[in-house]
Amino acid sequence: MTAARDWYKDAVFYEVHVKAFMDGNGDGVGDFAGLTERLDYLAELGVDCLWILPMYASPLRDDGYDIADFFAVHPAYGTLEDFQKFLDAAHARGLRVIADLVMNHTSDAHPWFQASRADPASPYADYYVWDATDRRYTDARVIFVDAEKSNWTWDPQRKAYYWHRFFSHQPDLNYDNPTVRRAMLDVMRFWLDRGLDGFRCDAVPYLVERDGTSCENLPETHAVLKELRAVIDHEYGGDRLLLAEANQWPEDVRPYFGDGDEFHMAFNFPLMPRLYMALRLEERRPIVDIYTHTPPIPPGCQWGLFLRNHDELTLEMVTNEERAFMYYAYAQDPEMKLNLGIRRRLAPLVDNDRRRIELLNCLLLTLPGSPIIYYGDEIGMGDNVYLGDRNGVRTPMQWSSDRNGGFSTAAEGTLYLPVIADPVYGYQAVNVAAQARQPASLLSTMRRLIAARRTSPVFGRGTIAFLRPRNQKVLAYLRRHGRETVLIVANLSGAPQPAELDLAEFAGVRPIEILGDTVFPPIQAAPYVVSVGPHGFYWFRLDRSDGAEEPYGIESTAI
Amino acid sequence: MTDRAPGFALPPDVEPELEGVAPCEIAIGVLTYNNAETVPAVAKVVRAGLERHFAGARAVLINADAGSTDGTPDLLAAAGLPLVRARHATPLAQRVAVPFHGVPARGAALRLTFAVARRLGARGLGLLEADVTSAADEWLERLLRPVLEQKADLVVPVYARHRYDGTITNLVLAPLVRALFGRRLHQPLAGARALSAGLLDRLLADPRWPAPGTNQTDLWVEGTAIAEGFAVWEAWLGHRRATSRTLTPDLPTMVVQAVGGLFAVMGGYDDLWLDIRGSEPVPTAGAPAPSSVEPVALDVDRMVGAFRRGLRDLGTIWEHILAPETLGDVLSLDAGSAARFRFPDELWARVVYDFALGHHYNVVYREHLLRSFVPLYLGRTAAFVVATRDRDVGAAETHLDGVGEAFERHKRYLVERWR
Repeated sequence: MTAARDWYKDAVFYEVHVKAFMDGNGDGVGDFAGLTERLDYLAELGVDCLWILPMYASPLRDDGYDIADFFAVHPAYGTLEDFQKFLDAAHARGLRVIADLVMNHTSDAHPWFQASRADPASPYADYYVWDATDRRYTDARVIFVDAEKSNWTWDPQRKAYYWHRFFSHQPDLNYDNPTVRRAMLDVMRFWLDRGLDGFRCDAVPYLVERDGTSCENLPETHAVLKELRAVIDHEYGGDRLLLAEANQWPEDVRPYFGDGDEFHMAFNFPLMPRLYMALRLEERRPIVDIYTHTPPIPPGCQWGLFLRNHDELTLEMVTNEERAFMYYAYAQDPEMKLNLGIRRRLAPLVDNDRRRIELLNCLLLTLPGSPIIYYGDEIGMGDNVYLGDRNGVRTPMQWSSDRNGGFSTAAEGTLYLPVIADPVYGYQAVNVAAQARQPASLLSTMRRLIAARRTSPVFGRGTIAFLRPRNQKVLAYLRRHGRETVLIVANLSGAPQPAELDLAEFAGVRPIEILGDTVFPPIQAAPYVVSVGPHGFYWFRLDRSDGAEEPYGIESTAI
Repeated sequence: MTDRAPGFALPPDVEPELEGVAPCEIAIGVLTYNNAETVPAVAKVVRAGLERHFAGARAVLINADAGSTDGTPDLLAAAGLPLVRARHATPLAQRVAVPFHGVPARGAALRLTFAVARRLGARGLGLLEADVTSAADEWLERLLRPVLEQKADLVVPVYARHRYDGTITNLVLAPLVRALFGRRLHQPLAGARALSAGLLDRLLADPRWPAPGTNQTDLWVEGTAIAEGFAVWEAWLGHRRATSRTLTPDLPTMVVQAVGGLFAVMGGYDDLWLDIRGSEPVPTAGAPAPSSVEPVALDVDRMVGAFRRGLRDLGTIWEHILAPETLGDVLSLDAGSAARFRFPDELWARVVYDFALGHHYNVVYREHLLRSFVPLYLGRTAAFVVATRDRDVGAAETHLDGVGEAFERHKRYLVERWR
């Protein structure tokens, strides 16, 4: 485990749901004991940091994003002691762990809310946002349009409306109340004291509300976040990570980095759908365009990149036309749509086309930022869109062809969700055990790609500059960091493509293809011609020393 | 002329070269490939060596050329000795990327030279390297006299080298050859050598010559000679300086070729080494010249850095190759400080044996296996330098002897895992 304070800049993240990964006690629900058992698998995959979805006590009406006790582990996942064993075992393997933290709201079952609704005079009365009418903050959009009509819900007990940006059973905390801010800091300290390496902070744009605004990204919200960051940096030495979930346009996400004094990382939401769009259109424009609209971020900060996650493939950050295209291209079955997004996993999104899966992962691992791999996508797991909400992408990890995919010894009917069992993506066909043995499997390829990414800091820390070959189907970009330069060339098309790349500034350099360790012909002043196979890609190291390393002093007489 | 050499027919284009060449007692072979810059000096050494040390003996120069385009054979002919030109076929790949020994398809060149020498009836064949500029006339004498007068069958040179020259040889090849074949050869891949007629005949009759272009032949010759009881000697030849326009300067490539060649010999000819235990020194001709003590610029930090990068990046390959305990021990090496870096001999022996086993069982694509060995070799080299740089030449020799002993002690580890 690197000791650098900005370790997250070089890290590959792995998003995993405790309930979905491995069932250690045979009750049909994944738990910390099971996750601990499988840490070696994750270390072998080559990831550096696990992001675990909410593991707190919760009625699970929103899969744990409705927290009822911030200081307890959900009993189905184990105990606090189990969590500690897991965390220590991860650290022993050089893996860091961050956990989801829902800051914006709680479950309506949380004792804070129960006390707040019960007694307007209780110390918790102002922990939430109450109003006598439902006519304030009318400029704020409804996010879960499929489930909620309004952001206000009447509470017959308190006889007032409470504010909620998500489900009505998730009342928003009132961050104008300093006691709430102190309480949330105490929650963070509780976990950081146990060694947790940071938090993925859920739904941060919505912390504070103001009339006449969208109630998103307000300066008051940023002030709250800066206050939390300053305290955590001060108390924990500056190497604990805060990762923002702010599903916003790049210029609106940028303030969440502050001057390097707010979040260390934020997800690059707008990039993700454009990767799929570029692939479907077979042209690089959507990717290059979004980067032209992406502002620079402070030096200590980093984008979080992802292809898929536990939510729907969100299409909030695309235009209406683009959304229509994405639905047409990737969600022709209406069951695949949810809210403003598509509830499918990576492999089914691209028709289980191995080349396209690898190409998307190539982009994930080489574009600026730290990649986040969603559990199961490294083996090409499928989904089940008929399970409701986003459950179709949260099914049990497929470990083997054994019963329940090796996930649990429980009776089939008692699993928290059924294992994917269709002929294409079912656990008999897609599982870790089979792929681990096959050098050509997707899992083995992912291991190699991750290992290749680890060979250089240029991927996590380098700048990006796009080349402009005439062939629009070819995406080519230079990543530079210090003396290192890497050139990525990717064919977005399903047919072989030629490209002439202007690499005159590297004349004389012999490109070395990193994945195959192959030396290519030297670059001349004239355009460098490459041909790339269908959905193929190259990672070239452009070494100024003409491919030769600096000498060790033993070469000329080594034999 | 004698009867045709057993088991190997000369190519048709060589036969005319032999017409009119009288039988000889001594054959001198020079294997060339674009060595115009250096062969005139080599020819001079041959002439002087024969005149000074073997006056009166009938000698022939054999030039096995790999397709030089710079007039090398003509320059050698200018020496004025009876000459047989024997051009041999070489794979294009080896002419484009010439192996560490400087001769594309060296095995084919050796076989051709051996056959010509025996066709001419030579009692002894001396081989000199075409790119060596420091050769002296007594080199020929030290190589050939044991063959011609002392019943040696194979004489391998020992050059006086700086203690940090030849790290692949000293830390991998020599200890492994010592453990495998039971003879303490200092420089088993040195290009010069001398062979007796008996050994030449034995080798020419062997149907198991290594495949061309695999860098196995010299080691196979040594292994065969030792296993079959031929007398193997060493000759001290002094300092070796070479000038070449074609040799690869790429360290990983050298490792792939040299170590890969030895691993291939182990796999293809395990009857030569599996039953051998212990080791013994070999008889020597001449006296050792003092080693060079000129300061050399070694970048130990970079070597340890390369080892650290290996630890970081190659775990997924090494875990296929190294036994779990070996991998654990390697991962536990403290590479935090180059100045204090250590790599125990016993662990090093197990690492090399695990790589030999991995190569044998083809657990990873062999080129990748051998390239992934490079950071380990650099780490071991750094540890050698760190352990000896403040001490005298003798300490370095003692250190290397310890490496050889460790390989010998742990040979059982290799043999037990070899099927």
